[in-house]
Amino acid sequence: MSLLKAEDITVRDGPATLLEPLSLRLEPGEPLVILGETGSGKSLMAQAIMGTLPPGLEAKGQVGVGKHMLNAAAPQRFRGLWGREIGVLPQEPWLSLDPLMQARSQIAEAHRLVRGLDRPNATTRAEADLAALGLAGAANKYPHELSGGMAQRVAIAAARAGGARIVIADEPTKGLDAARRDDVARLLLSEMGQIGGLLIITHDLALARMVGGRMIVLRSGKIVEQGTTNQIFAAPQHPYTKELLAADPENWTPRQRAGSGQTVVSTSGLAVERAGQHLFSKITLDIHAGEVLGVTGPSGCGKSSLGDALLGLLKPAAGTITRGSEKHAFAFQKLYQDPVAAFPRKRTLGRTIYDTLTLSGGRPNEVDALLARLGLDPRLLARRPDAVSGGELQRVSLLRVLLRNPSFIVADEPTSRLDPITQAQVISLLTEIAAQDDVAVMLVSHDAALIRNTSDEVLDLGPHGVPDTFENATDVRVGT
Amino acid sequence: MVAVLIGTATFVMMRSLPGDAAWRIAAGRYGYDNVDAAAADAVRAELGLDGPALPALLQWLGDLARFDFGNSLVTGQPIVDEIAHQLGASASLALVAVLLSLLIGPPLGILAGLRPGGLLDRVLLVVSTGIKAIPQFLLALVLIVVLAVQLRWLPAAGHGEARHFILPSLTLALGLAAVNARIARDAMARIADMPFWRFAKWKGLSERQTLMRHGLRNVSVPLITYLGLQFVTLVEGVIIMESIFGWPGIGHALVHAIFSRDVPMVQGTALVLGLGFVMVNALIDVAVRRLDPRVAA
Repeated sequence: MSLLKAEDITVRDGPATLLEPLSLRLEPGEPLVILGETGSGKSLMAQAIMGTLPPGLEAKGQVGVGKHMLNAAAPQRFRGLWGREIGVLPQEPWLSLDPLMQARSQIAEAHRLVRGLDRPNATTRAEADLAALGLAGAANKYPHELSGGMAQRVAIAAARAGGARIVIADEPTKGLDAARRDDVARLLLSEMGQIGGLLIITHDLALARMVGGRMIVLRSGKIVEQGTTNQIFAAPQHPYTKELLAADPENWTPRQRAGSGQTVVSTSGLAVERAGQHLFSKITLDIHAGEVLGVTGPSGCGKSSLGDALLGLLKPAAGTITRGSEKHAFAFQKLYQDPVAAFPRKRTLGRTIYDTLTLSGGRPNEVDALLARLGLDPRLLARRPDAVSGGELQRVSLLRVLLRNPSFIVADEPTSRLDPITQAQVISLLTEIAAQDDVAVMLVSHDAALIRNTSDEVLDLGPHGVPDTFENATDVRVGT
Repeated sequence: MVAVLIGTATFVMMRSLPGDAAWRIAAGRYGYDNVDAAAADAVRAELGLDGPALPALLQWLGDLARFDFGNSLVTGQPIVDEIAHQLGASASLALVAVLLSLLIGPPLGILAGLRPGGLLDRVLLVVSTGIKAIPQFLLALVLIVVLAVQLRWLPAAGHGEARHFILPSLTLALGLAAVNARIARDAMARIADMPFWRFAKWKGLSERQTLMRHGLRNVSVPLITYLGLQFVTLVEGVIIMESIFGWPGIGHALVHAIFSRDVPMVQGTALVLGLGFVMVNALIDVAVRRLDPRVAA
């Protein structure tokens, strides 16, 4: 018997249909992945099933959970299911735990108040839950003392403590590196077990592939394709699915090595510390014009700090950095991870761009040429940063960087917040620019496949790249 | 350090006040009607008021190091005794006012914060801004006129019975609550928008359980932090209230000591208030640390 049945769910915003009739079933022991990009309606789907749609949006259809049959149009009735039938793994587990409450209590309160156990039993159960997730020592810890992965495990225990057999996870791997992403997939699968239900909403192809089960591909509120996950990955039928899978960095064609030009920046025995924390040492590298240096490694290994050191934003702890053939003072530029935060919030993009143009003394037609080259609609410049998509905004950031006529660009996780197809576009623009404009690019990403397939030289910073002391470090040489 | 700074500052300020200090002290001792130049000269000679300022200051600081606050220039009583007596009256008034403000402000603020933009939120914004904009002495006078003079429910002034507490503490509490309520409202609205608030509901907790378990504690942190800052407002208010309602507290005494140039008395009271400020803030730091483990980290 299905754990959850949703029939003909639609979501409308006044006259606009955001999600066309969609039906799904969740079977025990078989995960269901809803795959789609931003705006595909995948999160709306989850919200309609849980009764958490934002005000103003209307849902229709039937949701059956266990013996309850609920009308999606009356979301207040869903409240009784939360914690008891359906557990939700929140997108940001770290922010989803009460900062002033110990891990144990956050789980125990659901055992006590939702499942109805008495206080001592609830506490014992909470401790057992933590121990089962390998967190026996974390019971007394507050969220700020937990790592992101630990917080995620506490959150999943808390979400299910009320007795929920179904887990809905909305983008559970957002912003995680590959190792952490695999941990999350394993955790979700083991939590589901043989009898539980698991619904995953994601744009992360690697996660979908790991989780397996069945998959629904959504695009603009419509089902594009559905079937078993393995089958869709092996032989996608719909052109959109094909495009989506091709955008997976695993499937990119490796970059053809360009002839390297002059050395733009080089280091010798470079070591960097941040806030007293030793990150890496003995790095010797040469970056040449027209070359893409890929830097990868898990979170916290010092990828961004290396970029900052090369840009002169961070003083190295040891070693030297030589910047050769700088064309001008602004030849070293940085492309930021979060483009929204890299633009003044209340000004139109056009104003910011033309201010940059004035600074570099360029001509207005430079902007037009770059807009065309980056595939941007000139009308975007009339908008504010929050009114354009992430992919467009990152391309506007790139435009701003190019206006300064750079010789070296550090791109720090430039696509970690973008959907796969958009990511593929932005990265290929960036590597094209490196080749055509003879710019050296340092591309930082936690995605090892992306780095492997786009870079001329690869620097893997960890975990083996993080020795305890400077003296023990082995020399890392790249491109010399 | 605080003691030296406050002592020096009050000393300098009192010295630079216009008017003849000896004359004022004499007036304080004997009453304005009985003062003449001879009495003032006698006081001047007795207290050495013509002497240079620096030795006088150093002597006071030296005495202070031995915990000797000296005697009042007016009554001749030891300052310590006078202050100990008045401090109790002031502290009880301030405490009642703070408790009353906590009963009025935060509950309203939390209710408003749960529905930002709702009717209660908008009314509360207008009322609290209005109360905050009225000077406290005016608020006190309005309350006296309405509750004491017109309705005759409460005494307009006095000290000693519980009902004497009501008007001065209510006036103080309204001023404090006007700000408390805003702090609580903003904190609640911010918290209700946080992922952990949503997640608590997803775990299956009801609105009430969510508020009790995840709302109150989180709201209390900024509220208590702000209480420390409000202490200044409170002291200011206490001084005014005591003068208006004839409350025999430290503020009342401070005002009178300034009028009659009773320098040691002014120094003593200012010192107690200053040290009180330091102590209250230290206590609040400790309380916030206990409530919020992130601060301790």
